[in-house]
Amino acid sequence: MFWTVTLSLLQGFGKTLEIFVLTLLFALPLGLLLSFGSMSRVSPIKWLTKALIWVVRGTPLMLQLIVIFYGPGLIGTWAESLHSDNGFILWLATWRSFDRFVAVMVAFVINYACYFSEIYRGGIEAIPKGQYEAGQVLGMTKTQVFFKIVLLQVIKRIIPPMSNEIITLVKDTSLARIISVYEIIWAGQAFIKSDGLLWPLFYTGVFYLIFNGLLTLLFGYIEKKLDYFRG
Amino acid sequence: MKKNKIMGIAGVVLAAVLLVCSFAACGKKEAPKSDLEYIKEKGTLIIGITDYEPMNYKDENNKWIGFDTEYAEAVCAKLGVKPEFVVAANWGEKYNEIKAKTFDCAWNGLTIDETAKLNASLTKAYARNAQVVVMAKDKVEQYKTAESMKDLKFAVEDGSAGQAAAADNGLENVIAVEDQAATLLEVKSGTADACIIDLTMANAVTGEGKSYENFAIALELSQEEFGVACRKGSDLPAEIDRITEELKADGTLEKLAEKYNVVLVK
Repeated sequence: MFWTVTLSLLQGFGKTLEIFVLTLLFALPLGLLLSFGSMSRVSPIKWLTKALIWVVRGTPLMLQLIVIFYGPGLIGTWAESLHSDNGFILWLATWRSFDRFVAVMVAFVINYACYFSEIYRGGIEAIPKGQYEAGQVLGMTKTQVFFKIVLLQVIKRIIPPMSNEIITLVKDTSLARIISVYEIIWAGQAFIKSDGLLWPLFYTGVFYLIFNGLLTLLFGYIEKKLDYFRG
Repeated sequence: MKKNKIMGIAGVVLAAVLLVCSFAACGKKEAPKSDLEYIKEKGTLIIGITDYEPMNYKDENNKWIGFDTEYAEAVCAKLGVKPEFVVAANWGEKYNEIKAKTFDCAWNGLTIDETAKLNASLTKAYARNAQVVVMAKDKVEQYKTAESMKDLKFAVEDGSAGQAAAADNGLENVIAVEDQAATLLEVKSGTADACIIDLTMANAVTGEGKSYENFAIALELSQEEFGVACRKGSDLPAEIDRITEELKADGTLEKLAEKYNVVLVK
Protein backbone atom coordinates (compact mmCIF):
# COMPACT_ATOMS: atom_id res chain seq x y z
CA MET A 1 0.00 0.00 0.00
CA PHE A 2 2.83 2.35 0.89
CA TRP A 3 4.21 2.11 -2.63
CA THR A 4 0.84 2.46 -4.27
CA VAL A 5 0.30 5.64 -2.28
CA THR A 6 3.82 6.94 -2.96
CA LEU A 7 3.46 6.36 -6.69
CA SER A 8 0.08 8.03 -6.80
CA LEU A 9 1.36 11.00 -4.80
CA LEU A 10 4.42 11.28 -7.04
CA GLN A 11 2.09 11.47 -10.00
CA GLY A 12 0.19 14.27 -8.27
CA PHE A 13 3.46 15.96 -7.39
CA GLY A 14 4.38 15.91 -11.09
CA LYS A 15 1.39 18.15 -11.74
CA THR A 16 2.40 20.33 -8.79
CA LEU A 17 5.89 20.78 -10.25
CA GLU A 18 4.47 21.48 -13.69
CA ILE A 19 2.39 24.34 -12.28
CA PHE A 20 5.37 25.58 -10.27
CA VAL A 21 7.93 25.60 -13.11
CA LEU A 22 5.62 27.08 -15.75
CA THR A 23 4.39 29.79 -13.38
CA LEU A 24 7.96 30.86 -12.62
CA LEU A 25 8.90 30.76 -16.29
CA PHE A 26 6.16 33.20 -17.28
CA ALA A 27 5.67 35.22 -14.10
CA LEU A 28 9.32 36.26 -13.62
CA PRO A 29 9.57 38.26 -16.89
CA LEU A 30 5.94 39.44 -16.74
CA GLY A 31 6.58 40.72 -13.23
CA LEU A 32 9.49 42.83 -14.48
CA LEU A 33 7.26 44.28 -17.19
CA LEU A 34 4.59 45.11 -14.61
CA SER A 35 7.15 46.75 -12.33
CA PHE A 36 8.14 49.04 -15.21
CA GLY A 37 4.45 49.76 -15.71
CA SER A 38 3.94 50.73 -12.08
CA MET A 39 6.99 53.04 -12.23
CA SER A 40 6.05 54.50 -15.62
CA ARG A 41 5.97 58.26 -16.11
CA VAL A 42 2.92 57.87 -18.38
CA SER A 43 0.20 58.13 -15.77
CA PRO A 44 -2.54 56.00 -17.47
CA ILE A 45 -0.11 53.08 -17.70
CA LYS A 46 1.01 53.64 -14.14
CA TRP A 47 -2.50 53.74 -12.70
CA LEU A 48 -3.77 50.83 -14.77
CA THR A 49 -0.89 48.68 -13.58
CA LYS A 50 -1.39 49.81 -9.99
CA ALA A 51 -5.11 48.99 -10.24
CA LEU A 52 -4.34 45.51 -11.59
CA ILE A 53 -1.88 44.87 -8.78
CA TRP A 54 -4.41 46.11 -6.25
CA VAL A 55 -7.11 43.73 -7.53
CA VAL A 56 -4.82 40.72 -7.82
CA ARG A 57 -3.14 41.20 -4.47
CA GLY A 58 -6.40 42.19 -2.84
CA THR A 59 -8.39 39.06 -3.63
CA PRO A 60 -7.70 35.39 -2.78
CA LEU A 61 -5.96 33.32 -5.43
CA MET A 62 -8.63 30.68 -4.91
CA LEU A 63 -11.31 33.13 -6.00
CA GLN A 64 -9.21 34.21 -8.99
CA LEU A 65 -8.95 30.58 -10.09
CA ILE A 66 -12.72 30.17 -9.94
CA VAL A 67 -13.37 33.43 -11.80
CA ILE A 68 -10.82 32.73 -14.54
CA PHE A 69 -11.97 29.16 -15.10
CA TYR A 70 -15.74 29.43 -14.75
CA GLY A 71 -16.12 33.13 -15.60
CA PRO A 72 -15.83 33.05 -19.42
CA GLY A 73 -18.15 30.03 -19.66
CA LEU A 74 -20.72 31.65 -17.37
CA ILE A 75 -20.65 34.84 -19.43
CA GLY A 76 -20.93 32.83 -22.66
CA THR A 77 -23.96 30.79 -21.59
CA TRP A 78 -25.60 33.88 -20.10
CA ALA A 79 -25.14 35.83 -23.39
CA GLU A 80 -26.52 32.86 -25.32
CA SER A 81 -29.63 32.77 -23.16
CA LEU A 82 -30.39 36.41 -24.10
CA HIS A 83 -31.03 35.44 -27.77
CA SER A 84 -30.01 38.93 -28.84
CA ASP A 85 -28.92 40.12 -32.33
CA ASN A 86 -26.58 42.70 -30.86
CA GLY A 87 -23.10 42.12 -32.28
CA PHE A 88 -21.40 42.50 -28.93
CA ILE A 89 -23.75 40.06 -27.21
CA LEU A 90 -23.28 37.60 -30.07
CA TRP A 91 -19.55 37.86 -29.58
CA LEU A 92 -19.91 37.30 -25.84
CA ALA A 93 -22.00 34.22 -26.59
CA THR A 94 -19.00 32.60 -28.24
CA TRP A 95 -17.05 32.72 -24.97
CA ARG A 96 -16.11 29.36 -23.51
CA SER A 97 -14.08 28.35 -20.49
CA PHE A 98 -10.37 27.64 -21.00
CA ASP A 99 -8.93 24.24 -20.50
CA ARG A 100 -8.51 23.59 -16.75
CA PHE A 101 -4.75 23.62 -16.81
CA VAL A 102 -4.62 26.74 -18.97
CA ALA A 103 -6.92 28.50 -16.49
CA VAL A 104 -4.61 27.49 -13.63
CA MET A 105 -1.61 28.87 -15.52
CA VAL A 106 -3.32 32.17 -16.34
CA ALA A 107 -4.38 32.69 -12.73
CA PHE A 108 -1.04 31.73 -11.21
CA VAL A 109 1.07 33.70 -13.70
CA ILE A 110 -0.94 36.91 -13.26
CA ASN A 111 -1.06 36.51 -9.49
CA TYR A 112 2.63 35.84 -9.03
CA ALA A 113 3.69 38.42 -11.62
CA CYS A 114 1.98 41.07 -9.50
CA TYR A 115 3.78 39.99 -6.32
CA PHE A 116 7.08 39.72 -8.17
CA SER A 117 6.60 43.18 -9.73
CA GLU A 118 6.40 44.79 -6.30
CA ILE A 119 9.60 43.01 -5.24
CA TYR A 120 11.33 44.18 -8.43
CA ARG A 121 10.08 47.72 -7.87
CA GLY A 122 11.42 47.74 -4.34
CA GLY A 123 14.78 46.49 -5.57
CA ILE A 124 15.01 48.98 -8.43
CA GLU A 125 13.96 51.99 -6.37
CA ALA A 126 16.53 51.12 -3.73
CA ILE A 127 19.39 51.85 -6.14
CA PRO A 128 20.73 55.37 -5.35
CA LYS A 129 19.93 58.00 -7.94
CA GLY A 130 23.64 58.89 -8.07
CA GLN A 131 24.38 55.69 -9.97
CA TYR A 132 22.03 56.67 -12.81
CA GLU A 133 23.56 60.11 -12.92
CA ALA A 134 27.07 58.65 -12.91
CA GLY A 135 26.10 56.41 -15.82
CA GLN A 136 24.72 59.33 -17.78
CA VAL A 137 27.88 61.36 -17.11
CA LEU A 138 29.81 58.46 -18.60
CA GLY A 139 27.69 58.80 -21.74
CA MET A 140 25.57 55.66 -21.28
CA THR A 141 21.96 55.54 -22.45
CA LYS A 142 19.18 54.85 -19.90
CA THR A 143 18.82 51.26 -21.17
CA GLN A 144 22.54 50.71 -20.84
CA VAL A 145 22.54 52.06 -17.30
CA PHE A 146 19.68 49.75 -16.34
CA PHE A 147 21.07 46.54 -17.77
CA LYS A 148 24.79 47.13 -17.11
CA ILE A 149 24.73 48.84 -13.71
CA VAL A 150 21.37 48.58 -12.00
CA LEU A 151 19.98 45.13 -12.83
CA LEU A 152 22.75 43.03 -11.29
CA GLN A 153 22.53 44.91 -8.01
CA VAL A 154 18.76 44.55 -8.07
CA ILE A 155 19.03 40.79 -8.51
CA LYS A 156 21.27 40.49 -5.49
CA ARG A 157 18.95 42.59 -3.35
CA ILE A 158 15.75 40.78 -4.30
CA ILE A 159 16.95 37.21 -3.80
CA PRO A 160 15.72 36.92 -0.16
CA PRO A 161 12.18 38.27 -0.77
CA MET A 162 11.99 36.32 -4.03
CA SER A 163 12.89 33.03 -2.35
CA ASN A 164 10.09 33.72 0.12
CA GLU A 165 7.54 34.17 -2.69
CA ILE A 166 8.82 31.18 -4.62
CA ILE A 167 8.51 28.87 -1.63
CA THR A 168 4.99 30.17 -1.11
CA LEU A 169 4.27 29.35 -4.76
CA VAL A 170 5.19 25.70 -4.19
CA LYS A 171 2.51 25.47 -1.54
CA ASP A 172 -0.05 27.61 -3.37
CA THR A 173 -0.14 25.08 -6.22
CA SER A 174 -2.42 23.06 -3.95
CA LEU A 175 -5.20 25.53 -4.80
CA ALA A 176 -5.39 24.14 -8.34
CA ARG A 177 -7.55 21.27 -7.11
CA ILE A 178 -10.42 23.72 -6.64
CA ILE A 179 -10.97 23.54 -10.42
CA SER A 180 -10.17 19.84 -10.60
CA VAL A 181 -6.54 19.97 -11.67
CA TYR A 182 -5.40 16.87 -9.83
CA GLU A 183 -2.26 17.81 -7.93
CA ILE A 184 -0.71 16.09 -4.93
CA ILE A 185 -3.21 17.12 -2.23
CA TRP A 186 -6.05 15.80 -4.39
CA ALA A 187 -4.11 12.56 -4.82
CA GLY A 188 -3.68 12.33 -1.05
CA GLN A 189 -7.32 13.08 -0.33
CA ALA A 190 -8.48 10.50 -2.86
CA PHE A 191 -7.32 7.78 -0.45
CA ILE A 192 -9.69 9.05 2.23
CA LYS A 193 -12.63 8.60 -0.09
CA SER A 194 -11.61 5.34 -1.77
CA ASP A 195 -9.75 3.44 0.96
CA GLY A 196 -10.60 5.27 4.18
CA LEU A 197 -6.92 6.10 4.69
CA LEU A 198 -6.01 9.40 6.29
CA TRP A 199 -2.22 9.13 6.38
CA PRO A 200 -1.63 9.70 2.62
CA LEU A 201 -2.93 13.26 3.05
CA PHE A 202 -0.37 13.96 5.78
CA TYR A 203 2.29 12.15 3.81
CA THR A 204 1.95 14.77 1.04
CA GLY A 205 3.63 17.20 3.47
CA VAL A 206 6.86 15.22 3.14
CA PHE A 207 6.99 15.94 -0.59
CA TYR A 208 6.53 19.68 -0.04
CA LEU A 209 9.13 19.68 2.73
CA ILE A 210 11.77 17.90 0.68
CA PHE A 211 11.21 20.09 -2.37
CA ASN A 212 11.23 23.32 -0.35
CA GLY A 213 14.34 22.09 1.44
CA LEU A 214 16.07 21.76 -1.91
CA LEU A 215 14.89 25.23 -2.93
CA THR A 216 16.20 26.71 0.33
CA LEU A 217 19.61 25.15 -0.32
CA LEU A 218 19.56 26.48 -3.88
CA PHE A 219 18.76 30.03 -2.77
CA GLY A 220 21.42 29.87 -0.08
CA TYR A 221 23.92 28.87 -2.74
CA ILE A 222 22.84 31.68 -5.08
CA GLU A 223 23.10 34.26 -2.30
CA LYS A 224 26.61 33.07 -1.53
CA LYS A 225 27.58 33.25 -5.19
CA LEU A 226 26.39 36.84 -5.38
CA ASP A 227 28.22 37.74 -2.19
CA TYR A 228 31.28 39.11 -3.99
CA PHE A 229 29.00 41.73 -5.38
CA ARG A 230 28.85 44.21 -2.55
CA GLY A 231 26.71 47.22 -3.52
CA MET B 1 4.46 -26.71 22.45
CA LYS B 2 3.41 -23.10 22.81
CA LYS B 3 0.66 -23.52 20.24
CA ASN B 4 -0.77 -26.45 22.16
CA LYS B 5 -0.85 -24.44 25.35
CA ILE B 6 -2.77 -21.61 23.69
CA MET B 7 -5.21 -24.10 22.17
CA GLY B 8 -5.68 -25.62 25.62
CA ILE B 9 -6.49 -22.29 27.22
CA ALA B 10 -8.87 -21.43 24.38
CA GLY B 11 -10.62 -24.76 24.91
CA VAL B 12 -11.11 -24.15 28.62
CA VAL B 13 -12.43 -20.63 28.02
CA LEU B 14 -14.84 -21.90 25.36
CA ALA B 15 -16.12 -24.61 27.67
CA ALA B 16 -16.65 -22.07 30.45
CA VAL B 17 -18.55 -19.75 28.13
CA LEU B 18 -20.78 -22.59 26.93
CA LEU B 19 -21.49 -23.64 30.51
CA VAL B 20 -22.50 -20.13 31.58
CA CYS B 21 -24.68 -19.79 28.50
CA SER B 22 -26.53 -23.04 29.17
CA PHE B 23 -27.17 -22.00 32.78
CA ALA B 24 -28.55 -18.71 31.59
CA ALA B 25 -30.80 -20.48 29.14
CA CYS B 26 -32.07 -22.82 31.85
CA GLY B 27 -32.88 -19.92 34.15
CA LYS B 28 -35.21 -18.33 31.60
CA LYS B 29 -38.49 -20.09 32.21
CA GLU B 30 -41.09 -17.29 31.93
CA ALA B 31 -42.37 -16.18 28.52
CA PRO B 32 -39.75 -13.88 26.93
CA LYS B 33 -40.67 -10.20 26.76
CA SER B 34 -41.12 -8.76 23.30
CA ASP B 35 -38.67 -6.08 22.18
CA LEU B 36 -41.40 -3.45 22.27
CA GLU B 37 -42.32 -4.37 25.85
CA TYR B 38 -38.64 -4.23 26.80
CA ILE B 39 -38.33 -0.70 25.40
CA LYS B 40 -41.59 0.57 26.90
CA GLU B 41 -40.60 -0.84 30.27
CA LYS B 42 -37.27 0.98 30.40
CA GLY B 43 -38.95 4.12 29.03
CA THR B 44 -36.25 5.18 26.55
CA LEU B 45 -35.55 4.43 22.94
CA ILE B 46 -31.83 4.53 22.27
CA ILE B 47 -31.40 5.77 18.73
CA GLY B 48 -28.06 5.28 16.99
CA ILE B 49 -27.19 8.16 14.67
CA THR B 50 -24.35 9.96 12.95
CA ASP B 51 -24.11 13.74 12.61
CA TYR B 52 -25.46 14.15 9.11
CA GLU B 53 -27.48 16.97 7.58
CA PRO B 54 -30.44 17.04 6.94
CA MET B 55 -31.22 13.90 8.97
CA ASN B 56 -29.57 14.42 12.38
CA TYR B 57 -27.49 17.48 13.14
CA LYS B 58 -27.13 20.15 15.79
CA ASP B 59 -28.48 23.70 15.69
CA GLU B 60 -26.63 26.73 17.05
CA ASN B 61 -27.83 25.89 20.58
CA ASN B 62 -26.23 22.45 20.33
CA LYS B 63 -29.65 20.80 20.21
CA TRP B 64 -30.28 17.86 17.87
CA ILE B 65 -32.49 18.77 14.93
CA GLY B 66 -33.06 17.34 11.47
CA PHE B 67 -35.71 15.30 9.69
CA ASP B 68 -34.94 11.99 11.39
CA THR B 69 -34.51 13.69 14.78
CA GLU B 70 -37.96 15.30 14.71
CA TYR B 71 -39.56 12.24 13.10
CA ALA B 72 -38.12 9.98 15.82
CA GLU B 73 -39.25 12.41 18.53
CA ALA B 74 -42.79 12.37 17.14
CA VAL B 75 -42.83 8.56 17.07
CA CYS B 76 -41.42 8.33 20.61
CA ALA B 77 -44.08 10.73 21.90
CA LYS B 78 -46.76 8.37 20.60
CA LEU B 79 -44.91 5.34 21.95
CA GLY B 80 -44.72 6.96 25.37
CA VAL B 81 -40.94 6.69 25.64
CA LYS B 82 -38.08 9.18 25.70
CA PRO B 83 -35.78 9.31 22.69
CA GLU B 84 -32.07 9.15 23.48
CA PHE B 85 -29.81 10.02 20.56
CA VAL B 86 -26.43 8.39 20.65
CA VAL B 87 -23.79 9.18 18.05
CA ALA B 88 -22.29 5.91 16.84
CA ALA B 89 -18.56 5.76 17.46
CA ASN B 90 -18.40 3.68 14.32
CA TRP B 91 -21.41 3.61 12.00
CA GLY B 92 -20.17 0.36 10.45
CA GLU B 93 -20.83 -1.36 13.79
CA LYS B 94 -24.47 -0.29 14.00
CA TYR B 95 -25.92 -3.80 13.66
CA ASN B 96 -23.67 -5.13 16.43
CA GLU B 97 -24.68 -2.22 18.64
CA ILE B 98 -28.33 -3.10 18.04
CA LYS B 99 -27.68 -6.76 18.75
CA ALA B 100 -25.81 -5.85 21.95
CA LYS B 101 -28.76 -3.62 22.98
CA THR B 102 -26.50 -0.55 23.24
CA PHE B 103 -28.81 0.82 20.51
CA ASP B 104 -32.48 -0.02 20.15
CA CYS B 105 -32.47 1.08 16.54
CA ALA B 106 -30.40 2.84 13.88
CA TRP B 107 -32.37 5.76 12.50
CA ASN B 108 -30.22 8.02 10.36
CA GLY B 109 -31.05 7.99 6.66
CA LEU B 110 -30.25 4.31 6.63
CA THR B 111 -30.36 2.87 3.12
CA ILE B 112 -32.44 -0.29 2.80
CA ASP B 113 -30.11 -2.76 1.11
CA GLU B 114 -29.27 -6.46 1.33
CA THR B 115 -26.90 -5.95 4.29
CA ALA B 116 -29.58 -4.12 6.23
CA LYS B 117 -32.18 -6.80 5.48
CA LEU B 118 -29.78 -9.51 6.58
CA ASN B 119 -28.77 -7.87 9.87
CA ALA B 120 -31.90 -6.18 11.13
CA SER B 121 -35.67 -5.99 11.05
CA LEU B 122 -36.63 -2.94 9.06
CA THR B 123 -39.53 -0.57 8.95
CA LYS B 124 -41.18 0.24 5.65
CA ALA B 125 -39.31 2.87 3.62
CA TYR B 126 -40.30 6.35 4.80
CA ALA B 127 -38.13 8.54 2.58
CA ARG B 128 -36.13 8.11 -0.55
CA ASN B 129 -33.15 9.47 -2.35
CA ALA B 130 -31.84 8.95 -5.85
CA GLN B 131 -28.86 9.89 -7.95
CA VAL B 132 -30.23 12.10 -10.71
CA VAL B 133 -28.91 13.65 -13.89
CA VAL B 134 -29.40 17.42 -13.88
CA MET B 135 -28.98 19.58 -16.98
CA ALA B 136 -30.38 22.67 -18.69
CA LYS B 137 -34.19 22.54 -18.87
CA ASP B 138 -34.35 22.94 -22.64
CA LYS B 139 -32.12 19.92 -23.24
CA VAL B 140 -33.99 17.50 -21.00
CA GLU B 141 -36.36 16.46 -23.82
CA GLN B 142 -33.52 15.00 -25.89
CA TYR B 143 -32.17 12.77 -23.17
CA LYS B 144 -34.61 10.27 -21.77
CA THR B 145 -32.32 7.30 -21.19
CA ALA B 146 -28.81 6.71 -19.90
CA GLU B 147 -28.02 5.27 -23.33
CA SER B 148 -28.79 8.58 -25.04
CA MET B 149 -26.42 10.39 -22.65
CA LYS B 150 -23.34 8.39 -23.57
CA ASP B 151 -21.70 11.28 -25.45
CA LEU B 152 -22.35 13.92 -22.81
CA LYS B 153 -19.70 15.15 -20.42
CA PHE B 154 -20.65 14.71 -16.77
CA ALA B 155 -19.48 16.41 -13.60
CA VAL B 156 -19.68 14.34 -10.40
CA GLU B 157 -18.48 14.74 -6.84
CA ASP B 158 -15.32 12.76 -6.32
CA GLY B 159 -16.02 9.55 -4.42
CA SER B 160 -19.79 10.10 -4.35
CA ALA B 161 -22.69 7.79 -5.05
CA GLY B 162 -23.22 9.87 -8.20
CA GLN B 163 -19.79 8.87 -9.46
CA ALA B 164 -20.67 5.23 -8.84
CA ALA B 165 -24.01 5.67 -10.63
CA ALA B 166 -22.21 7.08 -13.68
CA ALA B 167 -19.92 4.05 -13.80
CA ASP B 168 -22.83 1.62 -13.32
CA ASN B 169 -24.66 3.19 -16.24
CA GLY B 170 -21.70 3.14 -18.57
CA LEU B 171 -21.25 6.92 -18.61
CA GLU B 172 -17.54 7.31 -19.17
CA ASN B 173 -16.92 10.97 -19.98
CA VAL B 174 -16.80 12.10 -16.36
CA ILE B 175 -14.90 14.83 -14.53
CA ALA B 176 -14.57 14.45 -10.75
CA VAL B 177 -14.78 17.72 -8.82
CA GLU B 178 -14.63 18.83 -5.17
CA ASP B 179 -18.29 18.66 -4.18
CA GLN B 180 -21.88 18.62 -5.44
CA ALA B 181 -22.03 22.42 -5.59
CA ALA B 182 -19.06 22.46 -7.95
CA THR B 183 -20.77 19.98 -10.31
CA LEU B 184 -23.58 22.51 -10.83
CA LEU B 185 -21.10 25.29 -11.50
CA GLU B 186 -19.44 23.10 -14.13
CA VAL B 187 -22.74 22.67 -15.97
CA LYS B 188 -23.68 26.33 -15.64
CA SER B 189 -20.37 27.46 -17.17
CA GLY B 190 -20.59 24.87 -19.93
CA THR B 191 -17.49 22.93 -18.89
CA ALA B 192 -19.75 19.90 -18.45
CA ASP B 193 -23.07 19.04 -20.13
CA ALA B 194 -24.77 17.55 -17.10
CA CYS B 195 -24.09 16.61 -13.51
CA ILE B 196 -25.09 13.70 -11.31
CA ILE B 197 -26.16 14.70 -7.80
CA ASP B 198 -28.62 13.38 -5.27
CA LEU B 199 -32.33 14.03 -5.51
CA THR B 200 -32.52 16.03 -2.29
CA MET B 201 -29.85 18.42 -3.51
CA ALA B 202 -31.38 18.64 -6.99
CA ASN B 203 -34.76 19.59 -5.56
CA ALA B 204 -33.20 22.16 -3.28
CA VAL B 205 -31.27 24.05 -5.98
CA THR B 206 -33.50 23.95 -9.06
CA GLY B 207 -36.50 25.78 -7.64
CA GLU B 208 -37.73 29.19 -8.75
CA GLY B 209 -35.58 32.13 -7.71
CA LYS B 210 -32.51 29.90 -7.32
CA SER B 211 -29.30 30.28 -9.32
CA TYR B 212 -30.11 27.09 -11.21
CA GLU B 213 -33.78 27.63 -11.94
CA ASN B 214 -33.16 26.82 -15.62
CA PHE B 215 -31.94 23.37 -14.70
CA ALA B 216 -34.10 20.28 -14.48
CA ILE B 217 -33.82 16.62 -13.60
CA ALA B 218 -33.50 14.53 -16.75
CA LEU B 219 -33.26 11.04 -15.32
CA GLU B 220 -32.99 9.01 -12.11
CA LEU B 221 -29.98 6.73 -12.41
CA SER B 222 -30.15 4.84 -9.14
CA GLN B 223 -32.56 4.88 -6.26
CA GLU B 224 -32.34 4.23 -2.59
CA GLU B 225 -34.91 4.16 0.17
CA PHE B 226 -34.50 4.95 3.85
CA GLY B 227 -35.82 2.86 6.71
CA VAL B 228 -35.26 2.33 10.42
CA ALA B 229 -33.20 -0.70 11.46
CA CYS B 230 -34.33 -2.53 14.61
CA ARG B 231 -33.32 -5.76 16.29
CA LYS B 232 -33.83 -8.90 14.23
CA GLY B 233 -37.28 -10.32 14.90
CA SER B 234 -38.38 -7.26 16.90
CA ASP B 235 -41.99 -6.05 16.95
CA LEU B 236 -40.79 -2.42 17.04
CA PRO B 237 -40.71 -1.86 13.23
CA ALA B 238 -44.38 -2.75 12.84
CA GLU B 239 -45.23 -0.29 15.65
CA ILE B 240 -43.14 2.48 14.03
CA ASP B 241 -44.89 1.77 10.71
CA ARG B 242 -48.29 2.07 12.39
CA ILE B 243 -47.36 5.39 14.06
CA THR B 244 -45.84 6.64 10.78
CA GLU B 245 -49.19 6.12 9.08
CA GLU B 246 -50.78 8.31 11.76
CA LEU B 247 -48.10 10.99 11.32
CA LYS B 248 -48.67 10.93 7.59
CA ALA B 249 -52.42 11.19 8.03
CA ASP B 250 -52.21 14.26 10.27
CA GLY B 251 -49.66 15.98 8.02
CA THR B 252 -46.81 16.01 10.57
CA LEU B 253 -44.43 14.09 8.35
CA GLU B 254 -45.19 16.16 5.27
CA LYS B 255 -44.39 19.35 7.18
CA LEU B 256 -41.08 17.89 8.31
CA ALA B 257 -40.25 16.77 4.77
CA GLU B 258 -40.84 20.28 3.52
CA LYS B 259 -38.80 21.84 6.31
CA TYR B 260 -35.75 19.65 5.68
CA ASN B 261 -36.14 19.10 1.93
CA VAL B 262 -36.58 15.35 2.20
CA VAL B 263 -38.55 13.30 -0.36
CA LEU B 264 -41.15 11.05 1.31
CA VAL B 265 -42.15 7.66 0.02
CA LYS B 266 -45.76 7.98 -1.09
